[in-house]
Amino acid sequence: MSTFQLTIDGKVCSANQGETILTVATRNGIEIPTLCYHPSVAIYGACGICLVEADGNPKLLRACATEAREGMVVNTKSRRAEQGRKLALELLLSDHRGDCRPPCVEACPAHTDCQGYVGLIANGEYKEALKVLKEIVPLPASIGRVCPHPCESACRRKLVEQPLAIAQLKTFIADLDLADENPFLAEKAPSSGKRVAVIGGGPAGLTVSHYLARYGHDVEIFEAMPKAGGMLRYGIPQYRLPKEVLDQEIALIEAMGVRIHCDTRIGKDILFEDLEKQYDAVYIGIGAWKSAPMRCKGEESQGVLGGIDFLIDVAQRKPVAMGRRVAVVGGGNTAMDACRTAMRLGAEKVYVLYRRTRAEMPAEEIEIVEAMEEGVEFKFLVAPTEVLSKDGKVTGIKLQKMELGEADASGRRRPVPIEGAIETLELDTVIAAIGQKVVTDGIPVALTDWNTIAADEHTFLTDRKGVFAGGDSINDGPGIAISAIAHARQGADIIDSYLKGDMVPYSKPYIVTRQDLTEEDFLDRAKIPRAIMAHLSPEERKRNFKEVNFGFTEEQAKEEASRCLECGCADYFQCKLIHYGQQYHVDPQRFSAEPRRRKSVAVNDYIEYCAEKCILCGQCVRVCEEVAGKGVLGLVHRGFETLVNTEFCKTLELTECLSCGRCVDLCPTGALMETWVGKKRVPLKENNIYPSVFPKCADR
Amino acid sequence: MRVTVGMGSCGIAAGAQKTWNVLEHCFKEQGISLSVEQVGCIGMCFNEPIVEVITDTDHFYYGKVNGEMAAEIVEKHIKGGVPVEEYLIPEEEMEFLTKQTRVALRNCGIIDPEKIEEYIGRGGYQGLEKVLTTMTPQEVIEEIKISGLRGRGGAGFPTWFKWNAAHESPGEEKYVICNADEGDPGAFMDRSLLEGDPHAVMEGMMIAAYAIGANHGVFYVRAEYPLAIQRLEKAMAQAREKGYLGQNILGSDFSFDLEVKAGAGAFVCGEETALIASLEGERGMPRLKPPFPAQRGYWQKPSNINNVETYGNVPWIIREGGKAFAAMGTDKSKGTKVFALAGKVKHGGLVEVPMGMTIREIIFDIGGGIKDNREIKGVQMGGPSGGCIPKDLLDTPVDYESITKAGAIMGSGGMIVMDETTCMVDMARFFMNFTQEESCGKCVHCRIGTKRMLEILDRIVEGKGREGDIELLEELGQGIIDGSLCGLGQSAPNPALSTIAQFREEYNAHIYEKKCPAHKCKPLLTFTIDEDKCTGCGACAKKCPVDAIRGEKKQPHEIDASLCTRCGSCEATCRFDAVHVD
Amino acid sequence: MKECKCGGKSGEIRTDLSELEPILTKYRNIPGSLITVLQQTQGIYGYLPQEAIVAISKALKIKIAKIMGVITFYAQFRLNPIGKHLIMVCQGTACHVNGSEKVAEALAEELSIQPGETTPDKMFTLENVACLGCCSMAPVMMIQSQGNNEVYGPLTPKSARKVIRDIQAAERGEAE
Repeated sequence: MSTFQLTIDGKVCSANQGETILTVATRNGIEIPTLCYHPSVAIYGACGICLVEADGNPKLLRACATEAREGMVVNTKSRRAEQGRKLALELLLSDHRGDCRPPCVEACPAHTDCQGYVGLIANGEYKEALKVLKEIVPLPASIGRVCPHPCESACRRKLVEQPLAIAQLKTFIADLDLADENPFLAEKAPSSGKRVAVIGGGPAGLTVSHYLARYGHDVEIFEAMPKAGGMLRYGIPQYRLPKEVLDQEIALIEAMGVRIHCDTRIGKDILFEDLEKQYDAVYIGIGAWKSAPMRCKGEESQGVLGGIDFLIDVAQRKPVAMGRRVAVVGGGNTAMDACRTAMRLGAEKVYVLYRRTRAEMPAEEIEIVEAMEEGVEFKFLVAPTEVLSKDGKVTGIKLQKMELGEADASGRRRPVPIEGAIETLELDTVIAAIGQKVVTDGIPVALTDWNTIAADEHTFLTDRKGVFAGGDSINDGPGIAISAIAHARQGADIIDSYLKGDMVPYSKPYIVTRQDLTEEDFLDRAKIPRAIMAHLSPEERKRNFKEVNFGFTEEQAKEEASRCLECGCADYFQCKLIHYGQQYHVDPQRFSAEPRRRKSVAVNDYIEYCAEKCILCGQCVRVCEEVAGKGVLGLVHRGFETLVNTEFCKTLELTECLSCGRCVDLCPTGALMETWVGKKRVPLKENNIYPSVFPKCADR
Repeated sequence: MRVTVGMGSCGIAAGAQKTWNVLEHCFKEQGISLSVEQVGCIGMCFNEPIVEVITDTDHFYYGKVNGEMAAEIVEKHIKGGVPVEEYLIPEEEMEFLTKQTRVALRNCGIIDPEKIEEYIGRGGYQGLEKVLTTMTPQEVIEEIKISGLRGRGGAGFPTWFKWNAAHESPGEEKYVICNADEGDPGAFMDRSLLEGDPHAVMEGMMIAAYAIGANHGVFYVRAEYPLAIQRLEKAMAQAREKGYLGQNILGSDFSFDLEVKAGAGAFVCGEETALIASLEGERGMPRLKPPFPAQRGYWQKPSNINNVETYGNVPWIIREGGKAFAAMGTDKSKGTKVFALAGKVKHGGLVEVPMGMTIREIIFDIGGGIKDNREIKGVQMGGPSGGCIPKDLLDTPVDYESITKAGAIMGSGGMIVMDETTCMVDMARFFMNFTQEESCGKCVHCRIGTKRMLEILDRIVEGKGREGDIELLEELGQGIIDGSLCGLGQSAPNPALSTIAQFREEYNAHIYEKKCPAHKCKPLLTFTIDEDKCTGCGACAKKCPVDAIRGEKKQPHEIDASLCTRCGSCEATCRFDAVHVD
Repeated sequence: MKECKCGGKSGEIRTDLSELEPILTKYRNIPGSLITVLQQTQGIYGYLPQEAIVAISKALKIKIAKIMGVITFYAQFRLNPIGKHLIMVCQGTACHVNGSEKVAEALAEELSIQPGETTPDKMFTLENVACLGCCSMAPVMMIQSQGNNEVYGPLTPKSARKVIRDIQAAERGEAE
């Protein structure tokens, strides 16, 4: 046994005769990616991920299969080696059919792990579910109540009957935690000594603060209004989101050490430049608080209110200048909030005036339905042309009737006025809820063409050093709350890296998704209707601000969560293929390829084989033959059509399979997975709650 | 007088068995005391079946001899003594043979491969005798080194080096293996040599075995060559009878025997480690190198693998001396090479010439030029692992380095001649389709990479090519070459890359103009009827399988482009040249 | 998508394994004989019946999963019976350049089957094969009828059809 030396990535390593470059590298702490290699089975050299370059050799070498030689100078990160690796990963991913992450997680702007917490709810693990949820959303009880849930629109259960009630499940575990004696408080990293100033205590500001506090930084929020919460408090009515809930959630953020200074306006009570000087980083989450004008004659009359202004006053229990006959102009959620609030404040007649049709209203369907149930009258295809007034006070509104014409750039059909069709309504109040604008007084950052704050899409940096921004106030303007949270969640990580001296921008990791599933694929599922949450009847609720929804019972929640189809690959967090794929920033889309269709074969109760995720590394075949000694699996066919199969396509229990689970252990992707009987198989980043012992490990 | 009939596979395909039968019948019936002799393929495929009448003073070659002609030859020439002029192969066509230098093919078409005496009569087994009685293994290796012989299977690796490596490897159990898996579509040199002169290859293996210290030899012959397997087994039986195989050959200490194992239909088994896997009864998937077969090969024992033609040259080299071999050829590429000339050439067949002859000379002087006197476009060399040499590089000499420099590879010797009716994009797609199907599937770069390249090429020939496709092909191609585990993957992108380099305009035409300049890719063709030429006879309309042609009698007809399937029947039918293809 | 053709339904066709015995006895203890044994087995039955594969597995002590891997890797092996006449259309370069595609199309049309398929009357099986090495006779096809191989070339779509029709006529003639 002779020892000699070679150089890998500039590091001098000693090696023994017969060792491969990979063995030597691993022992010296140099990671070379592999997919088909495992020390317990014969070397295969197929995947090509371990390619390295060695001085003097014109060919790329497979580190797992090449013997180390004295004096070799190996470069594992040369351009050629990395290109070779990246190509192999891209080719494999171009032929991979599955969903790394489910459509619900993808649809959520913040990529909250819906499949994770829903699965844990189904398994009865509520505390764990909340932890997973709070990895991304620090205000889950509030968000669950108000989010328009794009996750549900994407939920594949709709191909069976209806999507899962994900938002309500979120509310369920959040409420459970708030009711607990010891609600969940995340662990904090040791103090970093860095200070961050956050302007605005709305969803964006609160979120960025929570996570920066987790990372050990000292955070202070400067909030202009009397209380924190932003639009969650002042823009969303009590009956949708009780302020008590919001208060509790904000208190938990303060319990993380975040200090909130209310009634503090930038430019007035404190100067922006001072914050820049005194803090190591500044985050702007000021939202969009100015109502957009209707731009019609008579708008300045008394009795015309901005939608947001109206809601803010109501939230603060201030007197509002609202009469008996109210018209709300607009079709979004703010309009719904305004009209239903108006109803609750005792208006005799409440109209909603919208220039297109019901189908095109951006408001959530349930809001429209409940508003109609409460007696709000909707008028479609009408546009205000003039607010009528007498003595400066609103007396009515003139409406131009419209019809739908050609589609515009957004794909929606443009309304066109009908010649001569005018309608007049008798009113004393007009609430304009057609949009919100950003007010940046006192904040000297560069703006976009739409007068929103210009923030880089990958780093959220403004044009000022160390000044970041997110939420309704940036770039495209107002969105939904969860989008603000998404900005802030990503922003927290970016600011944390910035404070540590090496800023890492956000880039969406590559994942594989399927676009081909239809109802046909789910015909075998039993139909279970979506849980309906108990709620107040229109009569019971239309004249008060009681919370409309009651929340799920535990039984309802578990049953509803069990409907989840578990679309996302259960092996996502262990999968080496996607792990390396993300590391190498792959782009398999450029091959415009259709991943192969393969029928999955040969399963038993404990093992599931997904042929369309198999990368043909052959480890399962080799381990069954060489270690288990059974040789139950084999490669069949040739070339691109190769598959792993059992003899004559038998299911595993008809073969000599021991169900020892070694094949599942070695599989680098989600092709071979163990089946969890009676439980949802929840993919989790840190799996501390489910045992890793194979269900039938007799032979280990 | 002797009468022979060429009985190689393609001769038989052309009807040589019938010719034989007629001759035999005639001889019997007419009491002529001659027996029809069979010889192997002489390689002049365009004139099969070939009958030779040989006297002490003259040698007559009759070409394309069918049954009737055979009977006539018996009557007029064999009995009557007067050769039948019009059936003789003309002088210019004989140049096909006379301009060749036959070393590997020295006996093909001349001896009966099923009669060992004929082989011995032409110097057969003298090389083996010389080696066993007067040379040490090292001296044998030295002689091969002097000859400069390089592997004829495609890689062109110095043969002496391989033999030496196996020789140096420790161990009592060693093997010589003959790679007769001639998988390149368009190559048939090895088949002809095995069918026509199996002893030459066997003798070469025996000499190699002596040099490296092996006692067992295996022929790996592809399944599609049943006649070759038959001739080999017969030759081996006869060699055993005469004592050239078995224990203590020719009274020496050297014992050696051979067996034949058939391939089972996998091109990848031409790669030496895949071949070994196949011999061991496994899926033909290549193994990692190093260790090389010379160190650990068949059953993990030192093994020497060479191509049929390589072994075929060895007895001649030993007999005549390495220097004599090295006297032919160029500086780095010594000796001769057998090429399988096919495609759009007038005279296709087996051509053995000294290295260094130009491609132009082979195609025009020996091959007679392009069929139908069309314009040459290029030559595909090296089969699916090779590339296309365009017409302006035809003066490239055939030697390993020059061919590689010109963008192709020597390969096993397949030479497919192309004219302006050959679409280079289609050729690239054809070869990629082949290699993709033959990929063993083990390594990612080849298994999936070739599929992706094929998808792009498929789109291009269907008229769905996109901006960026050529660049993507180049990038994928280079990546596959860099990352593949074996020679199949490492050379699969060559046809595409070389045609892109030499014929980029054709790719551009397919992608941007949606046109095929060679009028081959059907989805890109438009068939129209020239009004001025059309007589309205209606013949084309009757032929059209989808009823796409309309017109009044005696009036110019019209093709409905939306129905046209571009089958070409109308163009083939029209007697007035009125159908235009674009 | 490659369809599984292992004929997974067992017991449908009873195979007489007695002809296989001598082969198994001969190669039982010779390592590396699997492909040779499979070739000879196919020589007897025209394809590889499931029972034969099981018997080979027992005799050579090789796992069936592995044997199936070898069988499906090589183009020569068949898991389903073939027709009386096996038509092999050469897919080599020279044949391609000289119009093999049109010949293949004509044959497929004439027999109403695709490559890889057998006619319902079990008379013809059509296959595309790798280069047959008769390149100067391109395009070429080889027809194997009960162990005998005949090569035909150079073919045109018309002449290829004629060959088939002649065989069909001969078959009918014999039947009558």
